[in-house]
Amino acid sequence: MSRFQYVFGEALRNMGRNALVVLGAVLAVFVSLFLVFGTLMFGQIASSNADQWSDDVRVEAFLNDEVRNVESLQSEISDWADVAEVDYISKPEAVENAKEIFKDNEAVLGLIEEDPSFIPASLRIRPVDLQDYDRIASQLEATPGVLQVVSAGDAVNQLISLRDGLQVFSWALAIALGAAAVALIANTIHMAVYARREEIEIMKLVGASNWYVRVPFLFEGMLEGLIGGLLAVGVGLGAYRLGFDQIQGLVPLIDLTVTADFLTQRSILIVLFGVAVGAVGSAISLTVHRYIRT
Amino acid sequence: MIRLENVTKVYDGGVVALKDVSIDVAKGEFVFLVGPSGSGKSTLIRLMMREERPTNGGIWIAGKHASKMPNWKVPHLRRSIGTVFQDFKLLPNKTVFENVAYALEVTGRPRHLVRNQVPQVLKLVGLSTKTDRYPRQLSGGEQQRVSIARAFVNRPLILLADEPTGNLDPATSVGIMRILDRINRTGTTVVMATHDHAIVDAMRRRVVQLERGRIVRDQSRGVYEQRDTAEPEPEAEVPTPPADEIEPSRAERELAAAEADLAEIPVDDLEELTEGMADDSAMEES
Repeated sequence: MSRFQYVFGEALRNMGRNALVVLGAVLAVFVSLFLVFGTLMFGQIASSNADQWSDDVRVEAFLNDEVRNVESLQSEISDWADVAEVDYISKPEAVENAKEIFKDNEAVLGLIEEDPSFIPASLRIRPVDLQDYDRIASQLEATPGVLQVVSAGDAVNQLISLRDGLQVFSWALAIALGAAAVALIANTIHMAVYARREEIEIMKLVGASNWYVRVPFLFEGMLEGLIGGLLAVGVGLGAYRLGFDQIQGLVPLIDLTVTADFLTQRSILIVLFGVAVGAVGSAISLTVHRYIRT
Repeated sequence: MIRLENVTKVYDGGVVALKDVSIDVAKGEFVFLVGPSGSGKSTLIRLMMREERPTNGGIWIAGKHASKMPNWKVPHLRRSIGTVFQDFKLLPNKTVFENVAYALEVTGRPRHLVRNQVPQVLKLVGLSTKTDRYPRQLSGGEQQRVSIARAFVNRPLILLADEPTGNLDPATSVGIMRILDRINRTGTTVVMATHDHAIVDAMRRRVVQLERGRIVRDQSRGVYEQRDTAEPEPEAEVPTPPADEIEPSRAERELAAAEADLAEIPVDDLEELTEGMADDSAMEES
């Protein structure tokens, strides 16, 4: 207990002595982790929206009128590894669909009613993953009985690269900001050690163990990281709650909702990340500092 | 207690501080290291406290192979070594009591031991009435006595002093020497680097003289050596008492002048202190 009091007391005293520097480091951790929090949220929202859109993406293969055994073709395509689901749209259904689509266009409607046989039956295929779309399309084109393959094409590819790009960007930003926070924490610990170099020298002279000398500084760094992390999560969650309605109004096409589970998990992650940033920062500082090194 | 075998220390940049130095200091001995500035005295002290490692040769401190010791074991070794420096190294924001207590606190000694030991040691150095003063309120001699109290409060086997009187006037210096002598008489081995030949000669102890990194005079040398059977460390050898060098009338006058300074310390404090050491060793940390 008295050990804990010592470590805690020393850390708080150090932080009080360099209040401005500590404030700077805590704010740096806060800003970095707040941005990390924002990036994670942004990435999650982008990714879940992309998933939703991609659920609606289908590859459509129009069939020759010669195809008799539709069921065997359907089950053959279903067995492909990258295919999730195959729906058969028969000629009469396709005609009904076409009528529905062109119900405001008298001319086209007239053409359809005149000779419905030119509208082909089709297989509507849902890929397991968006990325499989190209492969499925080219495989279908090589399949006998398939007249033509149609899909969202470039739009799908763009959606995929947008989603992946956002994810890479999020993580790159998070890593860069984390590194900046580590450097700033290391700097405050460096200054705290420098401010106490005489005391450290004496501690070492009278035989205080290396851990006894170091732990308060390590603890100080972790405490600064913890405070920065808590601030980031608090402000991040607050901003999400308060800003949700307004921003959702601005971008009606994008669903900003994330699950409570996601929020809890990422909040804990951010706080732990803050503590880790503090620990790594002070550990780096303690390793390179000449007053601490034996 | 302290043994150096063919120790050479070369600093970065090729400066040779010590060249092939061998010394044996027995338990309870009082040794002066003398020589001009840059002769290697301070380097020798730093090697003995394992602040530095020798470039070549071996060093044994209190039965431990200090020159081979990994860094993480050094703190434990330091607890058996007290150190005193020319510049006192006191913490300005702590009182006399707190400065001395600090040495016990940072090595994790229990609080009751601190309450018990610190006043005793302050009494030994004649500062019982100044426990609540801050270093800036004390004279140089008093500050040095605080630093000696801090070095001694852990009951070290060895006390290393690097120019402890370097900043003090002759009369005050003699007072410091009286205290070091008292500490030595409790069985503590004392090694002191100094330029002050008057003090060295007045004290009539073993003298090791260094010049340009070599030992040029060791007054116990050439006399027969005798195994100390009471000492568990086989490498510790007891040299015969050193022959006295010169008769120093001036230093003796200074010693007499300093007697008054320490008159307030009762003689039986010494016995009290040595008794204190018994229950201290029982509390030796795990």
